[in-house]
Amino acid sequence: MAAKRIYAAWFIVHFFLITAVCFAGIFSLVAEGATTLPSALDQYARKAELVGAWLLGKQAAASSPVRRGIATYLHAAGIQAGYTFFAPNIPSYHRLTLELHYDDGRVEYDSPRVRGKAAALRLDSLLDRLADPLYEPLREVVVKMLAFSVWREHRDVRKIRAIFGSVNQPDISDFEHGKRESFQPLFSFDFSLRDEENESTT
Amino acid sequence: MTPLRRWWKGLIEFLFPPETDKWLAVLRIGLGLQVAVYALFLRSDWHHLFASTGKGLVSRQLGEAITSFDSPLIPKLGWLVALGGSVNIGEETVLSIAWAVLLCMGCFLLLGLFCRPVAIIAWFLHLCAAESGGLLAYGADNFMTTGLFYLMLSPLPDRYAFDHWLIKTKPKDPQLLGFWRRVLQVHLCFVYFFGGLAKCLGSGWWNGSNLWRSLTRPPFNIIEPDILIRFKYVLPVLGISLCLIELTYVFFIWRKKTRLVWLVCILGMHIAIGLTMGMYLFALVMIVLNLAAFGAGSGVVFLRHSARHRRDFTQCSPEQQLAP
Repeated sequence: MAAKRIYAAWFIVHFFLITAVCFAGIFSLVAEGATTLPSALDQYARKAELVGAWLLGKQAAASSPVRRGIATYLHAAGIQAGYTFFAPNIPSYHRLTLELHYDDGRVEYDSPRVRGKAAALRLDSLLDRLADPLYEPLREVVVKMLAFSVWREHRDVRKIRAIFGSVNQPDISDFEHGKRESFQPLFSFDFSLRDEENESTT
Repeated sequence: MTPLRRWWKGLIEFLFPPETDKWLAVLRIGLGLQVAVYALFLRSDWHHLFASTGKGLVSRQLGEAITSFDSPLIPKLGWLVALGGSVNIGEETVLSIAWAVLLCMGCFLLLGLFCRPVAIIAWFLHLCAAESGGLLAYGADNFMTTGLFYLMLSPLPDRYAFDHWLIKTKPKDPQLLGFWRRVLQVHLCFVYFFGGLAKCLGSGWWNGSNLWRSLTRPPFNIIEPDILIRFKYVLPVLGISLCLIELTYVFFIWRKKTRLVWLVCILGMHIAIGLTMGMYLFALVMIVLNLAAFGAGSGVVFLRHSARHRRDFTQCSPEQQLAP
C-alpha cells in the first residue's frame, strides 16, 4: 500500500506540472492577443501566465535549486513545453536568404542547407524561432553561424549579406486569383569575411 | 468515510487497474522503431546538426548554453564530448559513437534485449541530442522523450521481449502495469485536450484557412495547392473535425462504445499528418503512444487480447478495466 501511495503522489505532482505548463502556454497565447477571445482578457491572461510561471519555479533566481530541479525534471520527462502545435493559427513561415559577394563583384544567392528532410524540418523550426521576439538577443549570432556554414562551401566569398524575412502566404481565394506568396524582410546583417575568421558588421 | 478518503480510494482504484503487458510490448516495439527511424533519418545530418562552433549548421554549444540557462543538470551531448576528450577521443568520433549507440538501442528495444538498461540509454542519448540541438528541436522530440521516459520507468521486460525468453523473468505486477498505462493514457488526454483547446481559440481552424496554410507552407507542402483547391469546401469541415476530435478525446476515448471510433479518428489524423505533411517521426511517435495507451483491448483486431492472456492476469477484460 505504501508503494501505491508513493506512485499516486508522483502521479499527482507529475500531472500538476503538466497542467501548469499547458495552462501557461494557453494563457500566453491569449495574452499575446493571438486568439479570438476579447482583448479585455489579455491582461488577466498575462497575470495567469505569471502564476503558471511561478508554479513552475520560473520566478525564482536562475541559481535556485527549486527552479533548476523543476526545469531538469520537465526536460527529462519531455514536458517542458505545452501542446499548442499549429495553434491557435498558422503563422507566416520564414526564410533566410544569403547574398554572397565575391571579390570580382559577382553576387550569388544561397540559403543554409541540410541533406535530409528530417533535418530540413528542424532548420525550418529554427528560422521560425528566430522571428520570435524572445530570441531577439540570439538572432545575430545564429544568423552568423548559418551564414558561416554556407561560407565554408564558398571560401572565396568576401562578404555575406543575410536577409531574414517572413513569407506571407496568400489565402485560398487570393491564390485562385493568381496571388502568390510575398517576402517581407524583417532584418539583415552584413558579415565581412577575412582570412578564415568571420567578423560581422551589422 | 470522509469525502477526502473516498476520493483517495477512488484515485487509487483508478490508478491501479490490473493490466496485461501487451500495451507495454506495443510501447517498447513502437519506440524501438521510432528511435531507429530517428537515428536513420538524421544519419546524413547528424554531425552537421551537433558539431561545435564553426563546424556545423549552428553551434551545439549555443543550444547547450540555452538549455543550461534553464538548468545545468539537463543532459547534453557536450557531456559525452567532454568525457571522450578526457580519454583522447575526438568530438567527431564521440558524435559517431552516440549515433551508432542510439541506433543499436532502437534495434535492441525492437527485439526486447536488455530492455531496462537499453530503455535508459535510449532515453538519455535522445535527450542529450534533443537538448543539445534545442534550437532545432520540435514537437516530435518532446513526445519521444516522454515516451522513452515512461518506458524506462515501466515494469520491463514484457513477455514478448527476448529478455523474457532468455532470463525467464517472473510476470510483472498487473497493477503496476496498469498504473503506467494509466499514466500514458492520462498524458495523451492532456495532450489532445490542450491541443484541441488552443486550436479552437484560433479562427483559422473554423474556416479551413489553417489547414490550407499548414499544407502549403514549406517544408510541409507535399500536396500541390491546385489539388487542395479542388477540395476547398472540405477544408473547413476537416478543420472543425480536427478541433472537435482533439478536444473531446478526453471524454470519448474512455467510453467503451466510442473508444474505437475516437482511436481510429486520431490514428487517421496522425497518418494523414505524416503522409500529407511529411512529418513522419511526429506521426509515428503519436501512433505508437496511442496504440499503447488505448489500442490493446479496444477492439482493434490485431491488438485484441486472446482469452489465454486474459486468464493469465486478470479476471476482468481490459475493456472493463479501461472504463472509468
